[in-house]
Amino acid sequence: MQRIKITFRVLLFVIVGSFLHYTLPQHDLVRVTSTEIIRTDFSGWNRMFYASADAGSADQETRDLRLINTQMRDTWLLGFIQRDSESVMVYRNEDTSWGWPPYFKFDSADLHAEAANLARGDDWAMITHYGWRVRWASIYPNAVSIRPVAGPDVTIIPWFNIFFFVFLGIVVLFVRAMWRQFMERSVDPLIDKAEHQIDEVQAGVAKRRGRLARWFRRE
Amino acid sequence: MGFIKLVVFGFVGLTVVYWSVALFARSVTKERLENKFDAENPEGDRNTRDAYIADGLREYDTSIRPKLVGLVYIVPTVVIGTIIYTINAS
Repeated sequence: MQRIKITFRVLLFVIVGSFLHYTLPQHDLVRVTSTEIIRTDFSGWNRMFYASADAGSADQETRDLRLINTQMRDTWLLGFIQRDSESVMVYRNEDTSWGWPPYFKFDSADLHAEAANLARGDDWAMITHYGWRVRWASIYPNAVSIRPVAGPDVTIIPWFNIFFFVFLGIVVLFVRAMWRQFMERSVDPLIDKAEHQIDEVQAGVAKRRGRLARWFRRE
Repeated sequence: MGFIKLVVFGFVGLTVVYWSVALFARSVTKERLENKFDAENPEGDRNTRDAYIADGLREYDTSIRPKLVGLVYIVPTVVIGTIIYTINAS
């Protein structure tokens, strides 16, 4: 039983953790090398790792996908520790429009122009993105914004994520308080009442049984 | 189309949150009134207790506190507006 409980908790943690890791914004330090547009044919299952067509356009099975090719500074531990090496990273650049995840991004074309501008030089920039790069499924992280930075060693403080996790903690505590209040005020009294009724019924049965037993003993 | 979906589902979701928070806040207020009355009048009879709690809840209903639960609708709208602005203004 204990083992099932632990397995369940680990599984829940992994699922929620990967969901948040996919959805929350992350920052990469990159040098944009080029931008390009490729035609993409989504398959049934990698479709969910892509957002929508440009806001206001029709969504088709096949469409063009904006990509930003970069040389990225490697990091360890979710970007908290910087490394000296670099590797390539390719971002897609899609509108999320009004859909999920709620970035409300409508300016893919402008972002593409900014990236193209950066690609002319060799300057460092910070790309905010969400999502994963999965090579064997042709999945790319979606770039949300890009801005020039002084160099590859700047410190980035993830303000949004800090606020998000504080807020999430408050929500969890609040929901727990609500649940306890609900149990204490609405469910427990009902259970008490039911138990009381069961007690009464049992007492009645015992009384009747006693009477029956006495009757048998009478002879 | 996406916008309509967001508004409809957002409204439904926030309405659930609104009612949960409103009921929770009222329940907490009621419990506080009960505890306060019991502490002040350990021998108080049932009718005075009920009247005291009913009065307290009426006062709560007319105060600003239950109206603040309406922020459940306003805050997410403002947050979405802020996200739209910061993401798309470059």
